[in-house]
Amino acid sequence: MIWLTWRQHRAQILVTAALLAALGLLLLGSAVEAKLYVSGHAPPGCPGPAPACWDLAMALADRYDAVYTVFGWMPIVAPALIGAFWGAPLLGREYERGTHRLAWTQSVPVRRWLAVKLAVLGALAATAGLALSVMVSLWRPVFQRNDLFGNIGVFNMVGVAPAAWWLYAFMLGAAAGALLRRTLPAMALVVAGITVTTFTLFGLSEHYAEPARTVLSDATFLADPDARLVSGTWIDPAGRELTEPPAGLCPRRPDAGRSNRNQEAYERCLFGAGYRYAVSFHPPTRFWRFQWTEAALLTAASLAFAGLTVHRTLRRRV
Amino acid sequence: MIPALRTTGLGVRLRRTWVLRDCSLAVPPGRVAALVGPNGAGKTTLMHAAVGLLSPTTGTVDVAGRAAFMAQDKPLYDSFTVAETLTFGRRLNPGWDDAYAAARLAGLRIPQDRRVSGLSGGQQAQVALTVALARRPDLLVLDEPLANLDPLARHDVMRSLMVEVADRPLTVLISSHVIADLRDGCDWLVVLNGGRVQVSGDIDDLLAEHLVLTGPTDLADGSTGRARVVEASRTGRQARLLVRGAPAPDPRWSARPAGLEELVMAYLRSPETAALPAPAAVRA
Repeated sequence: MIWLTWRQHRAQILVTAALLAALGLLLLGSAVEAKLYVSGHAPPGCPGPAPACWDLAMALADRYDAVYTVFGWMPIVAPALIGAFWGAPLLGREYERGTHRLAWTQSVPVRRWLAVKLAVLGALAATAGLALSVMVSLWRPVFQRNDLFGNIGVFNMVGVAPAAWWLYAFMLGAAAGALLRRTLPAMALVVAGITVTTFTLFGLSEHYAEPARTVLSDATFLADPDARLVSGTWIDPAGRELTEPPAGLCPRRPDAGRSNRNQEAYERCLFGAGYRYAVSFHPPTRFWRFQWTEAALLTAASLAFAGLTVHRTLRRRV
Repeated sequence: MIPALRTTGLGVRLRRTWVLRDCSLAVPPGRVAALVGPNGAGKTTLMHAAVGLLSPTTGTVDVAGRAAFMAQDKPLYDSFTVAETLTFGRRLNPGWDDAYAAARLAGLRIPQDRRVSGLSGGQQAQVALTVALARRPDLLVLDEPLANLDPLARHDVMRSLMVEVADRPLTVLISSHVIADLRDGCDWLVVLNGGRVQVSGDIDDLLAEHLVLTGPTDLADGSTGRARVVEASRTGRQARLLVRGAPAPDPRWSARPAGLEELVMAYLRSPETAALPAPAAVRA
């Protein structure tokens, strides 16, 4: 059965491995180049927060962005691809070609055929996701970034999130193939499913923990830029929370273009009048808590899809 | 003698439709049984139930020993080479006979390094048949193995199948629309019509029992004695009856033995009649 799994799915496995290897080489090259740049151009004591290091920080940011744009789409596109090319054809193609009637009438029971395929390919998909996470996690420290938690794209490329996402996508694809019995519609369902899941989890992630709360009296943004904001409300000098500060208290003029000069002036005026701004947020120290919560949700959903696949397949084989 | 394949009260319901109802039949070991019937009669469903792809809704299916199946359209993995197709069989079947499979393909001059998609239809059928035979089954179930083959390939497949049956204890159940293809190789007949078994029996016995009578129309309304009319048709003043059993001697009838195709067609046109081995059905 292992041989058969490898023989039937080696194209997907090899292409995925090649793409990951190419990304690995790109990241390795980028990291080496950035290290060389730092050792050649860094003033003493840099990288660090000192003003003397700002030029270096800017140069590193440019290098980081140039490479990040190449694979920044991965948190949503990679699971869609895994689901469409690993998951959907697993059963969809067998039904389409009629080969399920060949495969499932050999001495190996269907139950085992399906269990081996789901387990082996699921484990490989999760491992590939983990490989992505390891590569990105080794590459990023070179650039002194501080957006591991607040940037949801980065968050889904590090830690255990990619492994859970890729496993989920594979099982979603397998279930779609088992239900629809056609590869192409199953692929479409996977893309739709991954999109919906992304936005659902994005909305849900606020509730992974009770948000922390802090009251600001001189700016509407937090000192830690890597926090995830949940909500913000104005508090009047008497300590009451307001849905909206009273009109007419401070002049409010719309901003033109991408400037927010007028908005900032309005906020400075409110702070000057004794108003404060309460912020609910998740601090970056919750990184692993959020990682494991997301991974647990996705893994539970993966198991549900695997169960659905097995149920459908065993129940109606022809 | 334990039948190679026995179904008892077999019924299969797919999506609220009964595809098979109360099918009881037994094929003795060593027979080559032809399974015939119109499209939608339930032939494929009966075969799927026999090889375990379907679970019966009612009744039972018993196969004595191992069953191997060649499905309709002879599915194989197109991207596999012939050698990989044999590896597939070896990896998925404990009793696989690799030497036999290689020798059979060599005898048919089918190169093992060729991809399945690059083979002719006849060669694909032979590869699929080899995969089924190399499992050393006791019962071989073939669903329309001759469909989409040219007459020469049809003949070759049937002949090579007959060679296998002569060489070893093997029971074959083979379905087809084309009765002429099955006439030479098969010695057992199962007629399936509208999800019910209409005929199940030894072909020679069936042919010996059935007669075609032709005579004047008014005779057809009278009694035919112990013979049971399967099908009656009239053209002008001439009546033609296909009967089972010995008719009362009457010189005005001209009688001749029924052909296999005639016999099958007569039953298919008269779904209410049946020729089953149960004694009650014979004497009725």
